[in-house]
Parts: sequence; structure tokens; C-alpha cells
Amino acid sequence: MTMMNQRKAGQLATPLLLLAALLLCACSTNVTVNGDYPSALTRQQPLRVGLVLDQQFSGYQFETSDERQQPVNMALGASQVKLFNRVFADMFQSATTLNSLPGGDSGLDLMVVPQVEEVQLATPLETRLNVYEVWLKYNIKVYDGSGKPIADWLMSAYGKTQSRFLKSDADALNQATVSALRDAGARLVIGFHKVPEIRRWLASREPERQLTRREIP
Amino acid sequence: MRAAILGTLLLTSLLSGCGTSTSIDEFRLSDTRLALNAGEQVVVMGRRHAGEYETEPDFIDCIGDKLGGGDRVAVIPEQQFLDSFYPWFEPRTAPLSLKRMEKMMRDPLIAERIGQLGIRYMIWVDGNTETTQQNGGISCAVAPGGGGCFGFASWDKNSNYEAIIWDLNKLDERGRVKVDAKGSSYLLAVGAPIPFIAQVQGEACKGIGKRLRNFFGVAAVEPPSRSEP
Repeated sequence: MTMMNQRKAGQLATPLLLLAALLLCACSTNVTVNGDYPSALTRQQPLRVGLVLDQQFSGYQFETSDERQQPVNMALGASQVKLFNRVFADMFQSATTLNSLPGGDSGLDLMVVPQVEEVQLATPLETRLNVYEVWLKYNIKVYDGSGKPIADWLMSAYGKTQSRFLKSDADALNQATVSALRDAGARLVIGFHKVPEIRRWLASREPERQLTRREIP
Repeated sequence: MRAAILGTLLLTSLLSGCGTSTSIDEFRLSDTRLALNAGEQVVVMGRRHAGEYETEPDFIDCIGDKLGGGDRVAVIPEQQFLDSFYPWFEPRTAPLSLKRMEKMMRDPLIAERIGQLGIRYMIWVDGNTETTQQNGGISCAVAPGGGGCFGFASWDKNSNYEAIIWDLNKLDERGRVKVDAKGSSYLLAVGAPIPFIAQVQGEACKGIGKRLRNFFGVAAVEPPSRSEP
């Protein structure tokens, strides 16, 4: 009798577990961020720059850790790689993407290593509309060609779902994140050369560049 | 018979309650219409710098459609403009004043792109539509024999927008239109829900779009056979 009950319980457990897993999946929002970023209207700096996008950055995945929040799983890596590549290609005369910081003399003028410092979300449970708000915080580490640190720039960006009538949570979250990435691109283009340490480094290169120009017959 | 009369009266009163009241204020710098030569365009953009609200992109599209209706005024879509000038007109980087715009126009890159696209006027729209009051409730139930909803709910909406026209040739303000629209919507459920929705934002768009159209002298882009309104 006990054996039969155990077998019945075992038969029931599998579909119940499957149902529970299905329900849990149905409640969470899974998004692979996908957006298009326009070309930046900016003057290209005459610099050779290495953009170091390591595996942690290019495969960045965000998951909500707070149990009181709506569960969200967001693959941000590919889209932020697309944005940074686009913006750096517009900002500098030559921009090369690297997987890691090269040792010794790189033959580059600058090396930039962006890292995701923090991602914060406000979900529809908090906004009470199908509207997400996304905050991104990057640490942009800047090195000279020989690998000497120049600046550590903490840059934040914000985005929000703009259309309130999107069909799904995933669409609303994607729109908010793309908008935050667009804001990050704007901060990079407008703010990069204004960071005091970078500005000083650029100013220190100015006489060198003038000298090089004068040397050209 | 009495029930039918009562029903009709209720329905009529509900439908009349759905009406929207709209008030529009307008300020013009001069009585002459704004010149728009062939090849010149207008851009309508929403303000999105404040944290608590953002001017809705679909409202901006609606104004663009009203303004450009009948090919009278050439309007460049907001997103196309934003992409062409990225990152200078993003929510947190766009110029909030004409003084700042003037400074931006001193940058040859921006001035040149404005010239290439023939952007003559920039219309900034600031405001939003919000639900101000909600009352009542609807409950729905399903039973083996069928299901249905019962109850009554109502809500009020308020649209408040201001449009400011900047002339990018003269770098000055040419006029303002302010619209305030209010309306109540109802949802009556006796078995099936019957909505009576007030088009508050739609009325605000219609009002502001019509006034903005009147600002522009359209003779230059209009075929000679048409008469000016």
C-alpha cells in the first residue's frame, strides 16, 4: 500500500514540477536587448584608440536579485558592444576593438576599458504602468598607449519606456534599456573629453601634435 | 416601456458626459504668417528632460500629422531628426532655451546639418496627459453556465500642453499655443462591459495642430490652384 502511494506521488511530482517551472518562467521577463544606435554627429579626435571589450562586458547579463521585485533576466552585452563600437568609431579617427588590455607598448594613443558597475530597474510593479525605468552605471577606465592609467570615469545613464501601450513586458523593458544605452552614448560623445584627467592629457598632447605638424614640410 | 425610457436616458446622459472640454490660448509675435520657403521643414519635438513626466511620442506624431496634413507644411518626423542630430537633442542634452540653441548653432557641424535638412522652425511641445480621478469598479465572474461583468467605473483625464515655435534662421521665438483639455470616461458593465471613452488627448492634438497650422504661410509650398484658408 505504501509502495503504491509512493509510486503515485512520484507520478504526480513530475507534472507538478513542470507546471511550477512553467508558471515561474511565465512570471519572469526575459529580454535580449536589441536596438539600433545612430551615427554620432561629432568631430573625430585625431587619436588611435583601443576599445577593450572583455568577455564580462560583451556577455553581460542582468538578473534582479531583490525577491520583492518582479523577476527580470536581461542580456545586455551584445547591445552595449554595438553602441560602444559605433560611438567610438565616430569619436576617434581610428578605433580598434580588443578583448583584453595589451601588455607593453600597444602602438595606440589611448586604451578605453568600459565596465558595467551597476544596473538598476524600476518595474511596472513599482511604476504601476507598463513602464520600465533603467539606470546604467559604467566605469570607464582610460589608459595611455603604454598602459599607464589616465582616468577612472563613473558615467551614469537613464532610460524609460516611452510608449505606454506596448504589448509585452519584454518590449517595454527593451525600449527602456535601448533608451538608457542611447543616453550612455550621448554622455560618451559629449562628456568624454570634458573629464578633467582626460582633458589634461589631451592638452598635454597638443604641443606634441603641433610640433609634429610643423615638422611636416 | 418605462425601463426602456430610463435606459435611453441613462445612455444619453453617459454619452453626453463623455464630451471633452478644450481651451486653447495663443500668443503670436506678429500677425504675419510664418514664412516657409520651398525645401524648408518644420520639426515638432517633445520635452523629456523632467523626471516625473515625458511628452508622449505618439502625441508629437499626431501634431506632426495635423501640421503636415494636405502637404501644406513639410514636417520631418521626430525620430528621424533625433537620429540625424544624435546626441545633441536627446532628452538630457536638448537645448532648453533659445540662448543654448544659439550656442549650439555656433558649432559648424550642427549648423551645417540644420542647413542640409532645411530645418527652419523647431516646435517644442511640453506637457502630458494624466488620469486625475478614478471612481467605481467592475467585477467579472465565470461560472459553468457562462460569465459576465457587473459594475460601473469612471475616470477623468486632463491633457495640458504648450507648444513653442523657434525660428532657427532668426533664432527667436515666433509664438506659443497652450491647450488644456479635460474629459470623463465611463465603463458600464451589465453582462458585457460597454465603454464610453472621452478622446481627451486626441482633442488636445486636434486643437494644438489646427492652431499651429494657422501660424504658417503656406503659399510657397502650395500648388497655385489651391486657395489659402
